[in-house]
Amino acid sequence: MSQTTPAEQASNETPVLRLAAISKTFGKVAAVKGVSLEIGRNEVVGLIGENGAGKSTLLKILTGIYQPDAGTIEANGQTVKFRRPQDSVDAGIGVVHQEQSLLTNLSVAENIAMGSAAGHGEGTKFGFYRWGRLNREATKVLSRVGGNIDPRATVGDLSFVDRQMVEIARALRAGEATHTMPLLILDEPTSVLERGETETLEREIRALKEFGSVIFVSHRLEEVLRICDRILVMRDGELVADRMTEEVTEDELFLLMIGHESEAPQRASAVGLETGTPVLDIRNLSARGAYRDVSLTVYPGQCVAIVGTRGSGRGEVCRAVFGAATYDEGQILVQGRDIRHWTMRQAVRHGVAYVPAERKVEGLVAGMAGAENLTLAHPGPSAVGPFLRPRARKRMATDWFERLDVRPRDPKMRLERFSGGNQQKVVMGKWLASEDLQLLVLDHPLRGLDAGASETVNAQVQDACSRNVGVLLIADTIEEAFDMAHVIVVMRDGEVTARYDLSVESTTSLDLLEGMV
Amino acid sequence: MSNTSTAFAPEPEAVEAAQTGKARTRKRWDIRRGGEVAALILLILVFSLLNRDTFPTLINLQAILDQASIPLIIGVGATLVILLGCIDLSVEGLMSACGVTFALLSANSRMTMDLGVWAVVVGVALGAAIGLANGLIHTLLKVPSFIVTLGMGFVGFGLASVIYGTDSLPLLDGGGIKSWPAQQFLNLPYSFWLAAVVVAVGALVGRYTRLGRFTYAIGNNEQIARSNGVPVRWYKTAVFTIAGACSGLAGVLTIMQLGSSPAQIGSGVLFLTIAAVVIGGTSLGGGKGGILRTAVGVLMLTVLNNGLLIAGVSVNIRSAVSGGILIVAIVAAAWPYRSRLRIMK
Repeated sequence: MSQTTPAEQASNETPVLRLAAISKTFGKVAAVKGVSLEIGRNEVVGLIGENGAGKSTLLKILTGIYQPDAGTIEANGQTVKFRRPQDSVDAGIGVVHQEQSLLTNLSVAENIAMGSAAGHGEGTKFGFYRWGRLNREATKVLSRVGGNIDPRATVGDLSFVDRQMVEIARALRAGEATHTMPLLILDEPTSVLERGETETLEREIRALKEFGSVIFVSHRLEEVLRICDRILVMRDGELVADRMTEEVTEDELFLLMIGHESEAPQRASAVGLETGTPVLDIRNLSARGAYRDVSLTVYPGQCVAIVGTRGSGRGEVCRAVFGAATYDEGQILVQGRDIRHWTMRQAVRHGVAYVPAERKVEGLVAGMAGAENLTLAHPGPSAVGPFLRPRARKRMATDWFERLDVRPRDPKMRLERFSGGNQQKVVMGKWLASEDLQLLVLDHPLRGLDAGASETVNAQVQDACSRNVGVLLIADTIEEAFDMAHVIVVMRDGEVTARYDLSVESTTSLDLLEGMV
Repeated sequence: MSNTSTAFAPEPEAVEAAQTGKARTRKRWDIRRGGEVAALILLILVFSLLNRDTFPTLINLQAILDQASIPLIIGVGATLVILLGCIDLSVEGLMSACGVTFALLSANSRMTMDLGVWAVVVGVALGAAIGLANGLIHTLLKVPSFIVTLGMGFVGFGLASVIYGTDSLPLLDGGGIKSWPAQQFLNLPYSFWLAAVVVAVGALVGRYTRLGRFTYAIGNNEQIARSNGVPVRWYKTAVFTIAGACSGLAGVLTIMQLGSSPAQIGSGVLFLTIAAVVIGGTSLGGGKGGILRTAVGVLMLTVLNNGLLIAGVSVNIRSAVSGGILIVAIVAAAWPYRSRLRIMK
């Protein structure tokens, strides 16, 4: 920086980052399609899009986690290739990931220095830590992001806002270590924060403009409009809009995000369903840090979908229903019975079924045969007391494999060897096989499934409804909710913002999205 | 395992902090930190009152510190390994192999070769080499440390038996090596001073070096450490090598103390050391604890054993008491981190 060469002066106008026709495909799915964009100096750019619009993939390309299939990346006018995360750091890009990436048992100063301590930082010499210097450096960076955090504090003892500040400070430091004009990527930094806390963070982000450029990813539109100079909108892997903030309105952005407006199909059958005791009655349910004052009911034969972005609390609500997570206040009634002290086992016994989003972790026993998985929760005729009846099990499994169209039709094959879609069918079948199924809780049942498998699962859900089973569904996309649900409940930041009964109201995707972001 | 898929998920404590809306205070740890030292003092007081004539004497203090020296040295390596979130079960086998090697290379009744002090160096180096093998197999072949070190421990025993053969192997007091541990400085045995130096170096490494700090980082979350640019494999291997060197040194010291070389010298010390690490307050899940804590844990267990012995309690009851205390300590220490213990199954 000491001498300014003509080349460097010229570079004052070159963008910190320029992408040209970046594409990335996973199998048959094109996650990012020919995206070209520029990030100027001292600019805060917002990046928005629905779930699955390709934002995350694009960020992973920028941070060297994924390599693009096509296209070029230019940082400060030079073509670069990010083969690993370090390459992106070397190009002056610092990231704050959506998930916290701090080491909670170490001090603030150590965390901030971590990236450089691994290489050749000032704070360590010949492998020895110089605490005084580390702490001073940390204080310096922290003061620039406006944080008033003790660098000696253990990160695990900090609040989430403070941790987020530490993350930003670290990203800033990492970027500055290699470039005078760092680019910070903030991936939904506010999603874990309370509303009040985000104001502090917003101030910091605007302050960052003095030191560099920022890409700000958020699902809260009003936040993006407040903070950013320019807004990029992605949809279906493409960059569909690039607007200056003054030129757009919230409604325009909504439309850009969803593209066309789709309307929910009318469902005549839903009327008259809301009779008798609801299978599920959630009253004013609250869990600190996750959701507040959530109320909803599911009647027999009704499918209720919860839509919302990640962090809206929808998953936590579903887990609470199954007894897999605790809640602080409110009541959950299953068929009129309070489930406060139910264990998961009791929930299963009372006909509650839960198909988790993390299929591989929570939903199936991968090393066991398909048939065994199928009869795990409700053995039915396949078990007498503690004894298993392999032949009855085989009959049952063969029957369900046929009904669910599980391919290949080999109940003896270990479940891990089936494809994702067929695994999901078995997981569903495990619950559907029960005669006294009352309530089916589906957390992203169609995630990672192809069209055919989705259809089978969808048909099974409709079939379950016709058997008078109540279904609570978390849908990946709005279309999914439209396809399957009778009632849609919209959640944002842990609160229910809207409820649409598709049988009586004509509902559009725009209506839903407005409640979500 | 769920561990991999949730690598970036917030820690249980983080979730807790989020739910309460503000940071958890560190009071719990501060109380606990003093707790171990207080327990040690309490133990000493109780035994002193029970056996006024025999327990609080200089001779008994020397005996306790001499006994504590071996687990203290092993404890340094064991703590570092456990801070990583791994475990080293090869301690006893390594002690045997290194001890017997040392015995053969110094003045003894079987061979004429006497390397003097260099025999100590060879013993420790052999320990480091086996530790290095532990680390490399664990990191490169991705075998759980539990399995690698368990197997390597038996390799160590086997090695010791082969070298040892069938004859007994008394150590001759040629270069004064045999009597070294019992010599005194400030009325305390050399063996203790050696252990004290190792513990001090270990504690400094844990606090002031990249190696130590990265050990904590890896133990907290290997995935995050890696994404922060920590060369995880390298540091893991280094820590296993250090642990091996500690075991080697402990084996050599044991032979010096015993004055002869039975093939299986380390029996029982592994349990004692890991118990001491846990009682000291180092989490088996990794990332939390420290070497000084382990030192306090070792002293607690040694005092307890010694005190019960002096009080005339039989061997069997003593081992039952230490086992019981270990379980209670694990439950108490790990209560807020129950979910993390699942890593160990």
